[in-house]
Amino acid sequence: MHNNEVRRLPNLGFGLGLRTDHYDSVIAERPDNIDWFEILSENYMVDGGKPLHYLDAIREHYPMVMHGVSMSIGGADPLDRDYLKRLKALAGRVQAAWFSDHLCWTGVDGTNIHDLLPLPYTEDAVSYIARRIKQVQDFMERPMLIENVSSYLNYKDSSLTEWEFVSAIAERADCYILLDINNIYVSAFNHEFDPQEYLDHIPVERVGQFHLAGHTNYGDYIVDTHDHPVIDPVWDLYADAIRRFGAVPTMIERDDHIPPLRELLHELDRARDIARPILEEIAA
Amino acid sequence: MSRLHILQSKFQRTILGAEDMLEKEIVATERLSVDRRIAIYAEAYRLRLTECLRENYSALYTLLGDEQFDALCRLYIDAHPPHHYSIRWYGDRFAEFARHTAPYSGHPYVSELAEFEWKLMEAFDARDARPVVLDELAQLAPSQWPGLRLEFQPCLQRVELTWNVAAIRNAVDEGRTIDSPQRGDRPAAWLIWRKRLTQYFRSLDDTEAWALDRARDRATFGELCEGLCEWMPDREIATYAAGLLKQWIGDGLVTKIQTDP
Ligand SMILES: [Fe+2]
Repeated sequence: MHNNEVRRLPNLGFGLGLRTDHYDSVIAERPDNIDWFEILSENYMVDGGKPLHYLDAIREHYPMVMHGVSMSIGGADPLDRDYLKRLKALAGRVQAAWFSDHLCWTGVDGTNIHDLLPLPYTEDAVSYIARRIKQVQDFMERPMLIENVSSYLNYKDSSLTEWEFVSAIAERADCYILLDINNIYVSAFNHEFDPQEYLDHIPVERVGQFHLAGHTNYGDYIVDTHDHPVIDPVWDLYADAIRRFGAVPTMIERDDHIPPLRELLHELDRARDIARPILEEIAA
Repeated sequence: MSRLHILQSKFQRTILGAEDMLEKEIVATERLSVDRRIAIYAEAYRLRLTECLRENYSALYTLLGDEQFDALCRLYIDAHPPHHYSIRWYGDRFAEFARHTAPYSGHPYVSELAEFEWKLMEAFDARDARPVVLDELAQLAPSQWPGLRLEFQPCLQRVELTWNVAAIRNAVDEGRTIDSPQRGDRPAAWLIWRKRLTQYFRSLDDTEAWALDRARDRATFGELCEGLCEWMPDREIATYAAGLLKQWIGDGLVTKIQTDP
């Protein structure tokens, strides 16, 4: 059920996840080959001090989008109103182009596991989560993107594939998808599906942002550790994604073993170099 | 309870180690067993929280070393799963837990250092408030002094320390080798705060600690002076009290001088 009236999100270009390690370099060097930053929402849901100081200083020069880890949109507990209020206040503060969170749950019965836990891919879960996303979008008054996560197990309850699940929720909730290319690669390996088939079934106009990241391969499974550069097969999958989805804002996530900013910028240039000729070809 | 809720509760209890009910719920593949798949999540959970505690309690971590610190973390994680939406708040009961849990309860510097480090964190991202400047004192008429009250920075924290934990934290922050824990003769008063983006801490003598605590309880300058009679000769009080005020303002601790009754 593709909806042709979906308005595509603006193409912000090539961005990076903002990390505390890079605050000073960003402010001192103000590199012009970063078009935008993605901030980790929860890190700035504080009352003052350094986090908000640097946030405001960097926002003066770069557009921002928000990325959260604790909404638990797929969780059985009621949505956390206090959390959403803080999130909305932050979105206003940085004038976020959009906000995203993961298609997962993060805890139940009042506990927060602080992990992106896998969901059963069922029709019931689709309608439950779509309803919650609608509530969140109405409250936030900004477009929401849901991100596919890396996962390490599948439930016997699941009756849909992951790509059917993600697409159905986005269509029914009328929200967007943050497609994490590395997560597709990781989950394809862990669950032995074809990543290309995944891409082919995601509705083009719903995709608003790409994530790229590195991971750790333990031989019989891969963990989404964000502590290495992006690997070649993931770059290849990214090229396929550009071919299918066109000019979608792209960014690199690095959360551990964080290198100097210029190294990440170098990696980001690789994304540009991959996307440019494909987009030129499409345009021609 | 919905099927989703049941499944998630089972999953969570399994990760928390409370039971193992997931075997029936999860697809095994030839390459990876169900046990291994669950263990990826269970291990990541403990590792993530331990890493968070290592960061929040960096000096205690350095002091105790991997083995002892991680053992304390394991007990704490089992006793206190996280509830807050931000992992930044994980470990809010670490000091209290160490105070009441053997063998750490027998080494009171553990909970004391934990309390000190948690308060530093609270000062780190507390609400910003503009400090008053000394000029504002100069503008007061002499008749306004006895009735004035102060408001203080939201980041301001007070703590009583019997051990040399502030020195230990200092050493860790500066990358120096740390002294072994040493007990003082009696608890000493310490003040923790943030000025713009930098955190500070310093010890207070008994008189200043008393006056600061009273001033934070909204005592007037006149009431402070009255109370100071106990500590010093009358003729020294006014100068001393005015000196405290200037010090507090100079440290950026005061956000408002209130002169209306
Ligand atoms: Fe991601």
